[in-house]
Amino acid sequence: MTGRQRADRRAGIAFVAPAVVALAALALYPGLWVLWLSLQQRIPIFGISRFVGLEHFAFLVSDPRFWNAARVTVAFTVASVALELALGLIVALALWRQRAGRRVALSLLLLAWALPSVVTAKLFEWLYHPSAGLVNLLLGGRAFNWLGDPALALPALILADVWRTMPFVALLCYARLLTIPPEIYEAARVDGATRVAMLTSITLPLLRAILLVALLFRTLDALRAFDLMYVLTGGGPAGTTETLTVFAYRSLFQTLQLGFGSAISVAIFVVVMAIAAGYLRALRREGLTA
Amino acid sequence: MIARLAIALLAGLLALGGCAERPAAPGAVTLVFKHAKIFGPSDPIPGLLREFERRHPGVTVKSEPLTWTSDEQHQFYVINLEGATPTFDVLMLDLIWVPEFAQAGWLLDLSPWVTTAELAPHFPAAAAAASWRGRVWGLPWNMNVGVLYYRTDLLAKYGLTPPRTWEALVAQAMQIRAGERDSKLDGVLWQGKQYEGLVVNTLEHLWASGTSLIDERDRVLPDPVRAARALTFMRELLDRGVSPSWVTAGDEELTRRAFGDGHAVFLRSWPYAMDLFEAPDSPVRGRVGIAPLPGHRDGAEGVGATGGFHLAVNRRTRHAEAAVALIRFLASDEGERALTAPAVALYPTRVALYQEPAAVRAHPFMPAFHDLALRGRPRPVTPYYLMLSTTVQPEFSAALVGVKTPERALADARRRLEYMVSHLR
Repeated sequence: MTGRQRADRRAGIAFVAPAVVALAALALYPGLWVLWLSLQQRIPIFGISRFVGLEHFAFLVSDPRFWNAARVTVAFTVASVALELALGLIVALALWRQRAGRRVALSLLLLAWALPSVVTAKLFEWLYHPSAGLVNLLLGGRAFNWLGDPALALPALILADVWRTMPFVALLCYARLLTIPPEIYEAARVDGATRVAMLTSITLPLLRAILLVALLFRTLDALRAFDLMYVLTGGGPAGTTETLTVFAYRSLFQTLQLGFGSAISVAIFVVVMAIAAGYLRALRREGLTA
Repeated sequence: MIARLAIALLAGLLALGGCAERPAAPGAVTLVFKHAKIFGPSDPIPGLLREFERRHPGVTVKSEPLTWTSDEQHQFYVINLEGATPTFDVLMLDLIWVPEFAQAGWLLDLSPWVTTAELAPHFPAAAAAASWRGRVWGLPWNMNVGVLYYRTDLLAKYGLTPPRTWEALVAQAMQIRAGERDSKLDGVLWQGKQYEGLVVNTLEHLWASGTSLIDERDRVLPDPVRAARALTFMRELLDRGVSPSWVTAGDEELTRRAFGDGHAVFLRSWPYAMDLFEAPDSPVRGRVGIAPLPGHRDGAEGVGATGGFHLAVNRRTRHAEAAVALIRFLASDEGERALTAPAVALYPTRVALYQEPAAVRAHPFMPAFHDLALRGRPRPVTPYYLMLSTTVQPEFSAALVGVKTPERALADARRRLEYMVSHLR
């Protein structure tokens, strides 16, 4: 190593240091603290603070409320992410070919994405209102009990989430579409390719990588879904919309079972990390990350 | 070099941390008062604080409102009180949190300053919620009680008087709906969403059925047969169409608006709703009456659950004397009188204020609320009330929407509660 290289190296470390210190202070330390808490029975109001090892995790394995929350989380994630990707892709393709009003369409898409989620939730509270809501009005004045029926509440939340985050996928795909050189399509046309063939053999393969990125972001977000159900249904009716994060919140901040609540959080963290690791491997195969 | 950089960074962080400390000028006291954002057109707090400052030279009070949702206030308090940061001295809290915070050691024991005799002028239900294990932890400030609203015009049209039992209420609602032939008119609205409101409504039905959620000896659901009957009745309100199915997602505001738009004969709600029904642009202005909540036939008399905010002092405060003086002023006759001003939608906990001519002129229904508040019953006064409530919420909701039978839901609620209580050693 020459002196110049050493100097570069030192400068590099110095530049990275603030980020590392900030990450350690803001993410690593609280993370480890939650892990430590999850091994304890800690309920401050009863002065209970003792080490219980893996007892909470053993209880969670046999807790129907935990498994219900896990099922709800998985159902919400699979359905909402699948719909968001499909609709986002369609919207992006439509925008790409649209001639007039593209700017307006883009602004409207951004609006849905930019609204704070609690505002979105309140908006949907009114849309889903059983007697005065627009949704029931559009369905011909039917009195669907969107948020109070155990069979409809989760689909209603999924729809709200799709409305809110589909634009994210659409904009990502749209940006990628703009970078595809038009010459490729001209060449295909000269070769006599049909529109369907161009879509399946050119457009979709070129979008593959960006779709994977969108899939990663959306899945990790959906797994931690909280605000929509917290505001709209409170996890009800009958716990049919209680996700793992809502369950963790109730245990941690409402009933103050700091140890038990932390154990749920750790369980969520493990699942999210496992899925993230799987996606990252897939992305690496695509050559998107080092 | 790296070491030096790290030290510099650390020093910077420490300096930042140091800035957060409040400077303590000698002699001058600054109290920080955290409270819920006051709902309604007029907020009495700023005026009261200025008056307190005028009488206590050298003391300034900084008022810091929290968001209005109860869950978020609770979360804020839990994080900050457990973190033991003395960033605020005086707090306003939902009365169901008083025993919990007291047990956690977060509140200053007010017993050296406040005797139980000082609590006597407040409604008994409010006073009961202020003490725990024979010590005083909070001072009652505003009063809430479950009441039955009814449409005076509709009941008069059919020659009816407010129902004394739920069974009579159902009959009246069916008669009026049959006579009015208005598909938009519902019978009775109440709060059935899976949240604290559902627990309050269920408690009122349990009490009206002659039983409770937890008895004096801490037994959970001591009479499962009566409890199942109460839950079955609530479910039947929905099945028979006396209450619309969306009540299973209804909270205070959703049901208040529907009734306020003239879409229901009866509503179970809190006193604040009356000020909105009597607003100049209200469609039901002058056509709403209040009555005690009905009882259940072969059960007991109806009684409304009580609620409201209490005032307490952070145990970590550096200015205990001034902080106690502030909450005693706010909860004094004079302090609570500010709640009876026109356009304030809060009701005081001091019984005598309900007969004040000025107060009654501003809020003509105060004498009626007085009678109901006097009979009101607090929710279980226990440090694990929230644990109790969040545990039973999904079960009660499951019984309402028919996912479980009432018997099954109660058995499940009981099993979970007993498991939790047994782990609180």
